Amino acid sequence: MKNKLLILLVVFASIVLLTGCSKSDPLTIWVGAESEEFYVEQMATYVANYITENGEDFPYDISVKGVDTGTAAATFLEDSEAGADIFTVAHDNLGKLITGSSSIAPITDTALLAQIQADNPQTFLNVIKGNVGGTEYTFGVPYIAQSLVLYYNKQFINEIQVRTWEGILAVAKTANKQALSLTGTDGFNNSFLLLARNAVTKESSLRLYQDGLIMNNYATGDDTLSVLKWGQRFFSDENGAKRPTDSGWQVELKNEESLSVISGAWHFNAAQAALGSNLGIAVLPTFTITAEDVYGDFTAGTVMQSGTFADAKMFVMKKNSDKADYLQDILTYLSSKEMQEASYDAVANLPAYKNASTEFASMSGTSIEAQLATAQILMFENGIPQPFGFDNKFNFYYYSKGGPELILEILENDGNRFNTDASILAQMLIVENIWRTGNQA
Amino acid sequence: MNNQHNNNQSMISWMLESILKFFKRFAQRIYHICKKIVCGIVDWFVNFYQRFFKASIPSKISHLVMGYGNLARKQIVKGLLYLFIEIGFLFVMITSPIINSTPIGFKALINFITLGTLEGDIFNPTDNSMLMLLFGVVTLGIISVFFATYFSNIKSSVHLDDVLKSGKKVATFKEDLADLLDSRFHITMLTPAIIGIVTFTLLPTIFMILIAFTNFDSQHPAGQVLFDWVGFQNFKNIFDGQSEISVRFLPVLSWTMIWAFFATFSCYIAGILLALLINKKTIKGKKLWRTVFIMTIAIPQFISLLAVRSILSEYGPINNLLMTVGLVSEPVKFLGTATSVLTARITVIVINLWVGIPFTMLMTSGILMNVPADLYEAATIDGANKRQAFMNITMPYIVFITTPYLITSFVGNITSFNIIYLLTGGAPTVSGGYKAGSTDLLVTWLYKLTIDENEYNVGSVIAILTFILTATGTLIAYRKSKAYKEEETFQ
Repeated sequence: MKNKLLILLVVFASIVLLTGCSKSDPLTIWVGAESEEFYVEQMATYVANYITENGEDFPYDISVKGVDTGTAAATFLEDSEAGADIFTVAHDNLGKLITGSSSIAPITDTALLAQIQADNPQTFLNVIKGNVGGTEYTFGVPYIAQSLVLYYNKQFINEIQVRTWEGILAVAKTANKQALSLTGTDGFNNSFLLLARNAVTKESSLRLYQDGLIMNNYATGDDTLSVLKWGQRFFSDENGAKRPTDSGWQVELKNEESLSVISGAWHFNAAQAALGSNLGIAVLPTFTITAEDVYGDFTAGTVMQSGTFADAKMFVMKKNSDKADYLQDILTYLSSKEMQEASYDAVANLPAYKNASTEFASMSGTSIEAQLATAQILMFENGIPQPFGFDNKFNFYYYSKGGPELILEILENDGNRFNTDASILAQMLIVENIWRTGNQA
Repeated sequence: MNNQHNNNQSMISWMLESILKFFKRFAQRIYHICKKIVCGIVDWFVNFYQRFFKASIPSKISHLVMGYGNLARKQIVKGLLYLFIEIGFLFVMITSPIINSTPIGFKALINFITLGTLEGDIFNPTDNSMLMLLFGVVTLGIISVFFATYFSNIKSSVHLDDVLKSGKKVATFKEDLADLLDSRFHITMLTPAIIGIVTFTLLPTIFMILIAFTNFDSQHPAGQVLFDWVGFQNFKNIFDGQSEISVRFLPVLSWTMIWAFFATFSCYIAGILLALLINKKTIKGKKLWRTVFIMTIAIPQFISLLAVRSILSEYGPINNLLMTVGLVSEPVKFLGTATSVLTARITVIVINLWVGIPFTMLMTSGILMNVPADLYEAATIDGANKRQAFMNITMPYIVFITTPYLITSFVGNITSFNIIYLLTGGAPTVSGGYKAGSTDLLVTWLYKLTIDENEYNVGSVIAILTFILTATGTLIAYRKSKAYKEEETFQ
């Protein structure tokens, strides 16, 4: 009996000892799935540096996990307690994350704030801030930039033809192929038309939640409606553009049914798998408004540049993390120029810091990755960041309340429902209303 | 003319009488149920009161100190178990320990009513209304379990009073345990199942139902913005005909019922025909044919569905074949991109045959092999031909046995998620509907509303309505079936 008691006592003491000695729960970092390995290595270096500088162990184990960045914010919102201490999100998710009292913490470290201010272009600085309780805070640290580009089949389309949609359409007609496949039907995919701007003046009358105001939307200008009329011709042409099929855009590219696709760096690997050495990457093409497309007082012959949403991926911190004292130093490390460059070299993440294309030598090469980087940077000049971070309603109304479907209806013009200017205007007025109120009427 | 007028009048009066009778019966039934409930409650209190005064002193003390009756009769372990449960319960209720920054216990009951009051700010947390609702439900569950244990404690003590009065020996803890493996074995076996059902089915269901009465949606993310009770507002919104959800609800519901009907009966009839074919005496290699169809069950359904989707896609093999032989000049859009809603709907019903028929075929084969041969012999002697034997023996036999399957299959198809979600994702899209496409069922729509849109409250309302629909349909159909009415026939 005594022996049994003794054994029990030893087991109990061992458990207590082990529990006491082990570090508490780890400091967790969620990064993009493609970058997990890279950041695991970088955080190991960070810990080694910490030990050298401070002469003591980093107080926590660090766990780096690759996640789908598109759903990281949603996952975090469902259960923030179980979320990471630092995680990556696209900047347009900011609105959801800071609704009410916010579930993420603002950046307060002056050195980090100074680094953010100094390194980032104004377009990104505008979208990483949010207003909570009447005060504006900086919440995110941009570290990856992304914009839409054109993936195309070099076997059919040459570098001259790829500059205009008309050029691509002519090739498609000759080869009896489809000029363009979209990867989805959402509001991101129609942005190449909706955000199109005058190629010379770089101007557009479109306003989308401008200045962070829910009512400040305008999509019924003569230029926007002329572009939509041009888009209607492009989509209704049997060799023009089309929505994704059940086969998927990869199959269409691979089978040479379609000659190009609009997408971002996140589909680079899939595009490369589909086209192999025939993959070409270019800035989204221009197109010319013809007399047939003109709406109102717009001028026929105006060359329009396809637009894009210019995205920044950023790191944010969990609010009330018990490791808050250590997070901002890690963010400073992870978002430094050097780290962004290393990330580009390792996993082709486009650096977000300003002037990266001129300051960073690796981006001026001729590799396909360099072409991707160059095309994205050039597209930034024709893009705007998704202006949805100010309030979670913006993102919801723009993407989820039917606006994209109504725009696609204009473009596809099934049953000739949108043959008249009045019908297009009426439909776009509904879209504007959805953006403002979430309701059609 | 007069006759017709009289007939119409008698018809109307008959209908009115029938309606009146129905409501009269309904009212009587409600009255009896209420009477039963009230009488039951009154009886319970009277019994409790009488039992208290008749009980021994230890049993009386057991009403306050759980386990005292057992401890006083030397049932130390059992008594201590009751006592610890009481102490544990009081400890949790009074101290209200914090889990994930939210209390459980007494404070959880207050939070259950308010759903949080602290709005928080950028540096301080907001009350998590969702956890407060959840912990409120859990606390109510704990209270229910405690009261069940409390009454068990009294019952046990009063039982000991009777044992002692009758001069019998008080059972030891070992004997109680042995009893649990012998005469009370059913309790041992059922307890884990009941705990599992309460924890993993009942409590989440209650939680889900309660969400339907709150404004927990995308504008009120848990832990960031407080949400509150809104009564039946979400139900009103579904039926007010104004909101998009309201506009799309009836079309989605209608298509769900149409889908469930065709998906069930097409598989059922085709499965029976296939089984009859395979079981024909003249068919060779019966086992082989059965195995072939069973193979479709062995392959995970989602793989089959994704394969079929790929086969039927615009640039898939079917379209290639159709174009190669010149039947069509351009790819046919069968599924999510179909130009006609009807095409997409017919296609998913047809694809469902592939995954649904083998189950009916397998079951019907088993039934066919077990139809008593003497029935057919008797029919032959009576001069019945094959068709008559089939219609009067085989079919009634199959229908009788498969009716419960048919009902569960119908309900299963109402809540069928995989087929629609993997084949069409609810598309083709519908003008005016912002999430519910033309092939979306209630359950796939529900998924989009909750997972994609975080509209938990509306999703919950749809889930409740789906449950009411399936439960009512099942009960009515089953109670009207021969399988229920003549349950004893085949025993």
